[in-house]
Amino acid sequence: MAPSPLSRRSFLASLAAGLAGAALPARARDGVASSPVAIGQVVHDGRWNPRPGALKRLGWELARRTSIETTPEPVPVRLDAPGLHRHPFLYLAGEGALPPLGDAARAALRRHLQFGGFLLADSADGLEGGAFDASLRRELAQVLPAAPLAPIPQAHVLYKTFYLLDRQGGRVAVKPWLEGVTLDGRLAVVSSQNDLGGAWDRSDLGDWEHPCTPGGEPQREVAIRLGVNLSMYALCTDYKDDAVHLPFIMKRRT
Amino acid sequence: MLAALAALGLSWWGLRAEPRPARRAALLALRTITAALALFLLLEPAVQLLQTARSRLRFAVLVDTSRSMRFPVEPGGASRAEAVAGLLSRQRADLAGLAERVDLEVRGFSAESSPVDADAAARGLPADGSRTDLLGALRAAASGPGRKLAGVLLLSDGADNVALASGLTTATRAELKALGVPINTVAAGREPPRDLAVERVAAEEFAFVRSNVTIEATLRAHGLEAGPITVVLRREGSVVAQAIVKLEPGRDRYQVPLTFRPDTTGTFVFTVAAPVLPGEAVTANNQRSFVLRVIRDRVRVLLVAGRPSWDERFLRGLLKQDPNVDLVSFFILRTNSDQPGSQDQLSLIPFPVQEIFGPQLRTFDAVILLNFNYAPYRMLDIERFLPNLRDYVRGGGGLAMIGGEQGFGEARYGATPLAEVLPVVPLDGAGLVEERFRPRPTAQGRRHPITALGASEAATAAAWEALPPLEVLNRTRPLPPGSGAAVLLEAPGLLVDGQPAPVVAVREAGAGRTLAVTTDGSWHWGYLAAEGGGGDGAYRRFWSSALRWLVRDPELSALKAEPDAPVVDPGGPIGLSVSLRGADQGPAAGRKVAVELVAEDGRAVARSEAVTGADGSARIELPAVPPGAYKVQARAEPVPGGAPETSATALTVRGAGPEDGDATPRPELMAAIAELTGGDSNSLPGGKLPALRQLEPEVVEIGQRRDQPIWNRWWFLAGLCVSLGAEWMLRRRWGSW
Repeated sequence: MAPSPLSRRSFLASLAAGLAGAALPARARDGVASSPVAIGQVVHDGRWNPRPGALKRLGWELARRTSIETTPEPVPVRLDAPGLHRHPFLYLAGEGALPPLGDAARAALRRHLQFGGFLLADSADGLEGGAFDASLRRELAQVLPAAPLAPIPQAHVLYKTFYLLDRQGGRVAVKPWLEGVTLDGRLAVVSSQNDLGGAWDRSDLGDWEHPCTPGGEPQREVAIRLGVNLSMYALCTDYKDDAVHLPFIMKRRT
Repeated sequence: MLAALAALGLSWWGLRAEPRPARRAALLALRTITAALALFLLLEPAVQLLQTARSRLRFAVLVDTSRSMRFPVEPGGASRAEAVAGLLSRQRADLAGLAERVDLEVRGFSAESSPVDADAAARGLPADGSRTDLLGALRAAASGPGRKLAGVLLLSDGADNVALASGLTTATRAELKALGVPINTVAAGREPPRDLAVERVAAEEFAFVRSNVTIEATLRAHGLEAGPITVVLRREGSVVAQAIVKLEPGRDRYQVPLTFRPDTTGTFVFTVAAPVLPGEAVTANNQRSFVLRVIRDRVRVLLVAGRPSWDERFLRGLLKQDPNVDLVSFFILRTNSDQPGSQDQLSLIPFPVQEIFGPQLRTFDAVILLNFNYAPYRMLDIERFLPNLRDYVRGGGGLAMIGGEQGFGEARYGATPLAEVLPVVPLDGAGLVEERFRPRPTAQGRRHPITALGASEAATAAAWEALPPLEVLNRTRPLPPGSGAAVLLEAPGLLVDGQPAPVVAVREAGAGRTLAVTTDGSWHWGYLAAEGGGGDGAYRRFWSSALRWLVRDPELSALKAEPDAPVVDPGGPIGLSVSLRGADQGPAAGRKVAVELVAEDGRAVARSEAVTGADGSARIELPAVPPGAYKVQARAEPVPGGAPETSATALTVRGAGPEDGDATPRPELMAAIAELTGGDSNSLPGGKLPALRQLEPEVVEIGQRRDQPIWNRWWFLAGLCVSLGAEWMLRRRWGSW
């Protein structure tokens, strides 16, 4: 399926933002990453972009809260197209069933993950065990047959890569844990069924696109923090498990 | 014979009618004599005459001439060699008597054996052999030319340090028995002399830097007063460990563990030394040296990244996976302008500038600054530590600076003390180059271990050409010749001052090394390259080699000087092999290299030079030097404008060899040899020659055989006629027939 058509509302919002940006002086070089992180959003034959503003907002939050610099927009990528490895961080979202990826796409994804890539799968279905989740499991079973999806324990470094987290966030709260696939001791795939993108999704005019239930804005904040932690994990892996950090983290957790 | 027996049987049967037994017996006797004589004549017997004699055998007298024979045969007495000579002199008459029956062969032996004059042996042979090889001497005597060996007289202190060093084993017993001759022994000395010795040092060949190392010394003490002594462990003159040992009456061996913590890598000479006590028979064995190679257990690397990035992600992943790397990372996850929320909800720690760039800095083998700008941390006084980092490099540390918007000129490192050691000139404020380019190896880069990705220069150039392009470059300028720097990779189309901009450059900076990678895109050579099916081998090889080069992995050193053996015997020349690679990493031909032996007190005691051949190697021979431990310092003459190449290793010239090290006589071994082989034994002082047991000489035929007939004598025929006639006459008279 082709990328989602641009709505009139988002077109006007983008135009306004672009005009505002053009009026500003050129941004100083200082603080701008020479090689910003470009998250690749996987384009598939299903509803691949159910939360169009999600990654852009996540990038904005990363820039505001951390030293990670991302490209202004995510980059749509097809798994079977050249250039996939330019985006070690892939975001695979969907609403409804994920159509079969095809052998070439599966092989490319396998290679991507085995050489150090990271995939965040995010179901926008809003229910546990929805169509997207079921089809994702089917695909992952073929991509990485020896490494099944498994719950990520609360003690995992993912929950302390930047924020100290002890709960899940998302547009919904249908699954109290994330699941992941571990390759060579690192998480190569993380799967959420709580619609993280739904919590991140914000219009160019500054409105949150979806309410978070049942926890409201605190739940959204946790979702954003989880997005920050996931990005940190993709870029620093188990850095926060290094011995030098442990005394500080233990102190703050008590 | 059967016919004769049958005839006798018939005659006995024929006499059954004779009633008187005397007559019957007389007749039977006469018939038997007649039959025997007839048989004798029929068989024609002869006597074979054979000329024989007893063979003359050899008897070997083996006299120990090893250095341990210089020790006194008893406390305060003559030397063992003198005691043996005295015995041979006193018993000369006995030996002369022996020489009448056998060929007496006198041999002196130590590591080898050779014939000596008997009179000279009686006067005393010089005891200067470096080994005692009893079995070797016995083998040589048994296999000697000439007559068969009948026996051996072995005169020695028994202090064997070759095959019988551990006593008689199953194999050596079998070999001694197989010699097949009685070995008579005279043991020179019964009691060990007064002596304190470092008998043995148990140490591994290598140890890990910054980790405790324990070596175990074995002390042997004889005839010494009880009391404490101090044993020290020295590293090239400096005491690194010591232990107090209490000598006790009746105990002669002590295990002394000595623990220390080496703080630098390299090959060093260590010496275990015990004090010299009054009245010791030998003082050369009071210390023992050994060479220990101190290596890194793991290369300790500090990785400081200015922000999370893919370059950081993949480099960290590579270093974390390497079992030889102990990685300590500090990543700047937020800046002062970031607004993450309450600090209590974060896992962040303060950037420990003072700790890592202060006292802890020297615990790292290499520091990597990845897209890191020091300026934001001025409030943490980081500028005060930049000279530290420069001095750390000059003192032997490794530093890599990796580019990005916070590296090189973007962070204005050109105005900092680090510029004095960096391999390129950062162009402060010049801005990044943001366009695609493929780096190309320079002439040096095609041969340098960091960038030589292929087996040949052409293969290396092709390998770089095949890698994905880079997209960001920090503008820097190469350093001028003579700075010790070299550009290995350059950006062909991106000119700075008319020259291609450096992408990878290296520099020898004092005792340390620096590396510049003027891009934050080196991960392209791994992860991006892997997409095309080529794998990430180039990336792994590049960084693995870079790290090894930075920390001066000996395998990558341009100059190598290796002694033929780390421990050499005294008195002989010392041979070394030297190899040198040039700045282009090829063999450096025609370069002068010099090697010095430096003693523990810092004096150079021997020096020699050579010029490398076409293959970059040279052979150097140093003159003999006194026993001791020496640092081997090699230096290659620098090329104009270049820095000299140096290398260091160590060697030991044995002082207390096995002969000097152990003065203990072993009379029990001598007696056991005699008992095993059927010989007799005795010991000095006070003893005489043992009963010199030997094999009996063999009888051998020395002339022709001759047969002498004995049947053709006339009296055999006469006897036959007489016995036959007497029997006929008696039978007639007694009226039998």
